[in-house]
Amino acid sequence: MDNKYPISKENLAVKVTAADWREAVRAAGHLLEAAGSATREYTEAMVSAVEELGPYMVIMPKFALAHAAPSEAVIRDDASLITLRDPVCFGSENDPVYVILSICCTDRDSHRESMKRIARMIMQEGAIDRLASAETAEEVLAVLGDDQGS
Amino acid sequence: MGEIRIQAVCGFGCGSSLLLRIKIEEVLKENNLSATVFCGDLGTCLSQQCDAIFISEELSERIMNRAKVPVIPIRNFMNKKELTEKTLNFMKDFTK
Repeated sequence: MDNKYPISKENLAVKVTAADWREAVRAAGHLLEAAGSATREYTEAMVSAVEELGPYMVIMPKFALAHAAPSEAVIRDDASLITLRDPVCFGSENDPVYVILSICCTDRDSHRESMKRIARMIMQEGAIDRLASAETAEEVLAVLGDDQGS
Repeated sequence: MGEIRIQAVCGFGCGSSLLLRIKIEEVLKENNLSATVFCGDLGTCLSQQCDAIFISEELSERIMNRAKVPVIPIRNFMNKKELTEKTLNFMKDFTK
């Protein structure tokens, strides 16, 4: 993982086209697969998690945190982030969703520090709106980078 | 009285519960309150010893009727006002 940002540029996709939440979660999962951090099974486990547990992963307006349980489908701790060209609905009061962060972890605690950094960034006032309107990966990184040094 | 234990719960105990835990810890610190906040998952949270369970509103219904400690549903993890109110209310009630 990049030292400066908890999410590397390769793990970002901006203005992704997705017909529904499943396609959107899979798009985020495919980035983890492409990075060699998780397998296709993990991506499908993230979809199943929403099907089984409901849309609770839409933890705040416009934003979903997609993940599944630590398992053998995870190769290393990692995170990916996508923004959507058109938002999708999960069936949550916080719909519609414009930004999806997907995470995979090998165990519950190993990724705590990087999660803390990510949490601080996405919970900044207005961060989700700025991510949603970003046109390039560089703009996304600029928003994510705002936390640096604080 | 021993240390107050707050359990932040999500589906698997490693995603949104961690964000929730970080935010609760922030609120406690800002208000000079002390409690241990730890993460739990939906499947095992009821068997973990704690004084309260903070959980997303959607998941709260699954444990609300079975929990022996207060279950505090959170609608918007980003909403500092909601988190602050609910955390402070719990701390006030608990230490009454």
